[in-house]
Amino acid sequence: MADFLLTLLPHLLNGIALGLLFALLSLGFMLIIGVMEVINLAHGSLFALGAYFAVMLMSQDGGITHPFMAPYFDLPIVLRYIVALIVAPAFVAVVGMGLEVCLRRTYGKDPLYGLLLTFGAALVLEEMIREIWGPAEYFLPIPKAISGGFFFGDMIYSNYRIFAAVFAMAMIGLLWAFLNRTPYGAVIKAGAHDSEMVRVLGYNLSRLRLYVFAFGAALAAIAGIIMAPIWGVRPHVGVDAVIPAFVVIVLGGVGSFWGAVSAGLLVGMVVALTAAYLTEWSLLSMYLLLLVVVTFRSRGFAGKASALEA
Amino acid sequence: MNQNSYLSSFRAWFTAPMLLSFLVFGTMPLWIDAVGLYQYLGLEVMIWVIFALAVNLLLGYTGLPSFGHGAFLGIGAYAFGLTQFNVAANLWLSLFGAVAVTAILGGLVALLISHRRGIYFALMTIACAQIFYFIASKWTDVTGGEDGLLNIARLPVDLGLTEISIRSNFSLYYLCFAAYVIIVVGLWRLVHSPFGKVISAIKQNDSRVAFLGYNVWLYKWLIFTLSCAITGLAGALFAMAQEGAYINIMSLQWSGIAILIVLIGGGFISFWGPVLGVIFYFLARDILGAYTETWLLWFGLIFVGMVMFKPEGLAGMWRDGRTLLGRKPAPQPEPSVTEPSAAGGD
Repeated sequence: MADFLLTLLPHLLNGIALGLLFALLSLGFMLIIGVMEVINLAHGSLFALGAYFAVMLMSQDGGITHPFMAPYFDLPIVLRYIVALIVAPAFVAVVGMGLEVCLRRTYGKDPLYGLLLTFGAALVLEEMIREIWGPAEYFLPIPKAISGGFFFGDMIYSNYRIFAAVFAMAMIGLLWAFLNRTPYGAVIKAGAHDSEMVRVLGYNLSRLRLYVFAFGAALAAIAGIIMAPIWGVRPHVGVDAVIPAFVVIVLGGVGSFWGAVSAGLLVGMVVALTAAYLTEWSLLSMYLLLLVVVTFRSRGFAGKASALEA
Repeated sequence: MNQNSYLSSFRAWFTAPMLLSFLVFGTMPLWIDAVGLYQYLGLEVMIWVIFALAVNLLLGYTGLPSFGHGAFLGIGAYAFGLTQFNVAANLWLSLFGAVAVTAILGGLVALLISHRRGIYFALMTIACAQIFYFIASKWTDVTGGEDGLLNIARLPVDLGLTEISIRSNFSLYYLCFAAYVIIVVGLWRLVHSPFGKVISAIKQNDSRVAFLGYNVWLYKWLIFTLSCAITGLAGALFAMAQEGAYINIMSLQWSGIAILIVLIGGGFISFWGPVLGVIFYFLARDILGAYTETWLLWFGLIFVGMVMFKPEGLAGMWRDGRTLLGRKPAPQPEPSVTEPSAAGGD
């Protein structure tokens, strides 16, 4: 039994890393549902786009071969990694703003239109990625300090998973502080509660929506960059990412910060454990989970009535 | 019965656009080569029209977005092949097998989802479709996995006295056309029957329909199962056209493209929306595809533009065009279908 628990430990670590990244991805997704009342089916594509931009900023394989940029690629990898972690989400935030501008025409209509529009946007983004970077898989180089692994007992642990878990945890903490301890966070939460009232109180609602969408997109991009060395970077990775975001939101309940975090951890754990013991079926477990959750508990652990139910 | 009553009962069954579609599709193999296209394209269009009509029965008429209908197209194709291989190599039996299996599986899925609407409904269909996809891709003994189910024959049409071979695309096309005629007339009658009124009312406000004493759950269950059965028929025809059943049509992307097609055509406001959408999609694929490999990108952009500026689709443009030209607008099948239902009502 003790042996079994020891072999279980690395998978649990994987589950925690995966779960925290799912939580980060879903929190951006949830902010967008809250303020825009739109189910952003393109969220996974923004996640993928973040990973691709990061590849572009990390190595010349990413497509920037102009000699003007050569000195940049001679910089130490740690520096480039930090640049990628800041600049790539900023690019994705701009793409997200573009998407929000398109979405404006669907506000106030049947939520199905927002769903359809973001579905079209997901298709366009995926095809664009295929066109620019090709269908082949990329690998995101990472600094030596966070690659490799170490032994604990008889099992090998990946340093990167620990880095991913810690980084995601820090981001979630910062996000919580931002939402709960700053005036901007207060406006966002108020917007999610009743956006018309926020407008009446004199805030520029269009601008709030634009920024919140950009912010959500940037969170997706950060999750994409951190996930890239674990999942690889393929055009299709967006679809693989949007489904867990859905499951987490449905399970945790719309509007609940800690609901999303705990649901993210649960989903990450389920996926990591099925991947360890039933590799073939690991993706299936996610869909089964979605089905079970929506059937029995569609408002999740702590959800309120939301745009999802319209 | 006098002349007039024959005419009005004829009009209840057949309308001018319907007869026009019969004329165009009925003669298509004769002129499709002459306009620079090819016979197989006609076959694909005919099969996808049947599929899109089934999708629109849910999306446009009942307001239920199924993002997983591609899975049922695939199930129909596999069931057709498996009946043919394991039961009897008879066309009618195999078609029946395809429709029955798809209807049963669709009915089971509908048991799980019929109490849902809107986004949750869409989510549940995605989850169910992906589960079918994974089963089909892993259950290699039955479905052939990633390789697909190969060598599905185009079985001869056995009419009792005589047998017609449908080996050529030309003759298979007419089998599909016959299926189209039956399904279009059937669906037209269905959506204009009292049953059809109830499902459009469910689209508008399902709680109010429930207050009126209708069993909303049962109506949704029936319409989903029926839509799946029609999709299964399209899948069987597709298996014959491709001479095999492959997993790719079961993927999420194809289910999404079916929704795209229906919306671009104008399924929300017109019975004929899906038909226009399918023609538009396949022409775009062949024409844009001749110039660029990334035609799906451009098609996606057209779709996004359509949702933003003209969610009524091609059918909506046609209606606006007629109004602009000062002619009376085409008679709408339902005033209720012209407006997207207001979100919720409870």
